[in-house]
Amino acid sequence: MKFKSLVLSTAIALVTLPAVAEDLVLSIGSRGYGPAVERNIESWSAANPEVSIKWNKVSDVPGDTRKLYVTSMSAKSPSPDIFAIDVIWAGEFAARGWLQPLDGLLSQKTIEQFNPALLSAATLNGSVHALPLYTDGIHFFYRSDLLKKYGLEVPKTWEDVLAASKTIVEGEGNPQFNGLVSMWAKIEGLFMNWLAFTNGNGGGFFDANGEVAVNSPENIKATQFMVDLLHKHRLAPDSILNSRPDDARTLFQQGRAAFLMVQDFVHGPLSAEDSPVAGKFDFARVPYFEGNETAGSTTMGGWFLGINPNSQNKEAAAEFLTYFAGYEQQLAAAVEDSRAPTIPSVYEDKAMMSAEVLAKFGKNFDFGVVRPSATTGSNYPKVSETMQLAISSALNQRESVEDALNDAQSKIIAILEN
Amino acid sequence: MSKTAPSIERKRQKTGMAFITPTLLIITAILVYPILQSVVLSFGESSIDGSVPYKFVGFKHYFALLQTERFWNALTVTVIFTAISIPLELILGIGLALLLNEHFRFKGIARLAVLFPWALPTALNTLMWRWMYNTDYGVFNAVALQSGLADRPINWLGDDVLAMGAMVTVAVWKTSSFMALIILAGLQSIPRDLYEAGRMDGMSRWQEFREITLPLLKGPILVALIVRSMDALRTFELPFNLTDGGPVTATESLSLYAYKVIFDFVEFNFGAAIVVVQFLVIFAMSLIYIFTLRNKD
Repeated sequence: MKFKSLVLSTAIALVTLPAVAEDLVLSIGSRGYGPAVERNIESWSAANPEVSIKWNKVSDVPGDTRKLYVTSMSAKSPSPDIFAIDVIWAGEFAARGWLQPLDGLLSQKTIEQFNPALLSAATLNGSVHALPLYTDGIHFFYRSDLLKKYGLEVPKTWEDVLAASKTIVEGEGNPQFNGLVSMWAKIEGLFMNWLAFTNGNGGGFFDANGEVAVNSPENIKATQFMVDLLHKHRLAPDSILNSRPDDARTLFQQGRAAFLMVQDFVHGPLSAEDSPVAGKFDFARVPYFEGNETAGSTTMGGWFLGINPNSQNKEAAAEFLTYFAGYEQQLAAAVEDSRAPTIPSVYEDKAMMSAEVLAKFGKNFDFGVVRPSATTGSNYPKVSETMQLAISSALNQRESVEDALNDAQSKIIAILEN
Repeated sequence: MSKTAPSIERKRQKTGMAFITPTLLIITAILVYPILQSVVLSFGESSIDGSVPYKFVGFKHYFALLQTERFWNALTVTVIFTAISIPLELILGIGLALLLNEHFRFKGIARLAVLFPWALPTALNTLMWRWMYNTDYGVFNAVALQSGLADRPINWLGDDVLAMGAMVTVAVWKTSSFMALIILAGLQSIPRDLYEAGRMDGMSRWQEFREITLPLLKGPILVALIVRSMDALRTFELPFNLTDGGPVTATESLSLYAYKVIFDFVEFNFGAAIVVVQFLVIFAMSLIYIFTLRNKD
């Protein structure tokens, strides 16, 4: 086995790193944090000309990026030195030994600045394995011009959404126009959607005692609502079942839907100068079901930065990490790109006064729902996939909602017992 | 004479061995070693980076596999896909080959054009088709809606039967030309005199095809069938890029399932068991072809 990993790592190192020792390779996608990455690398390079940073722009589809990391880390490749990971992988990657513990590398003062709740997602055996870079969540985007045209209020509950969608879709009279679009393809985003719907009905993945309760009556009712929205009321396009975040965003941006449910990052492209819906949309908290006003409905996500345990240059990587995830850089990303900081004191900064969009995102985060990745650890990918299959199966009307969720419940209990 | 001949022969063999040894070593290293490694992995418990020492567990993963609904689904999907697409490809392939074997103007260009889909990478082709199938912007729905054939967009890749049909269509479109190429080579090696003799005996075109062409094409057809069936039984890029195995698992092939087990769940040993079973299925299929097509002679 030793020989094999040696061969593999040499091969991967040869392919991915024709580098000088002082080069640091940073792996991060461009969708969520692109402008900030460019800024940070530029300012860092100006101050530290001896250490050059290579930006390895990885896929913005998290599942693809994950597979890349599984390969590199399994083979103990020394590249990338620093890499961005989805919050849901943090616990698993730490447990597999794919993240360098940061205790010895970063000062305690650096680590302590961050939100402790977020740090806990990447903490294993008392040591922090990655730093949170930003958080995001699912929001409910709506066409403010259309609501005004039909004299409608911003919908607060799913019952409101149903009524408003009917009015607008009928009023527009265009067969190509839809009520709600979102990411209901069999991807992680589908599970995020389901958590938003079910928590908004007082349900969720766990019950009040922390036991897995996927097939609770509240969850069944909320899931049935998703099915009905699509098949009974015909207020979502059939293509929603193959939609990823950007597919949904594109439809909404082209003026073909009244409501859109995806993460923060779409705000940028939607409000861009050449966007047909610029100035015609706004966003609010993801709706809840009547009578559940205080329930959470904003499924949260976020990205962390970690150091590869096989990096040849951990000291320099730690310095760059401290800089990249630090106060000033987070403040700039907050003000300029509306990325939600993970250092609580950034929110107190005077410069934050101008970050209006971010302040609104923040209000929705008060109704945050987290995914069960910390609790299920390295089983999370299987748990999430089981849920995606079950929800997909119900939405495709392959089986009843009840059967699908009962099946998922017993499968997940078996996975967690294993 | 009788004494020197064997020694020359032996010398020749030695030189020959010296020439093929490097090739054999390389093939062993890059082909046989990974195959054996997969078999070894499938009978044990280990981690890919060597942090957990290998432990032999016998048929554990295979028993687990037989009880996994999703494995049976993937196997069924793979077999159905192969069973539908291969006969279609064969019929179209023979038709194309017969056509291209005729004499007509621009024959060279036609031959080139037919090969085009096959020459492009599957992943690229598939992404192109995915756009055409797209529910909201695709060309198929644009035609269907404007001609009034459909009153709402058809979700080509979101329905079990349509998605499988879409996959088969892409496979047939892409690889019929490969079948045609092999069969065309076979056609050109059939001596003209046979047809002349047939014509003298008053054979019709259909009889010529049945009695002369088809029997003499058995060899090329066998090769084309084996190569294409092997391809179809391990199809990966097609479902991966077109449907991601969806809706739910309606188009999830064995390769795609193994890939997900290995890279999403990081279960290398269980994944290796899937791959070994897939290998056995392909092996069995090749044997069936060889015996059924050979024994008739």
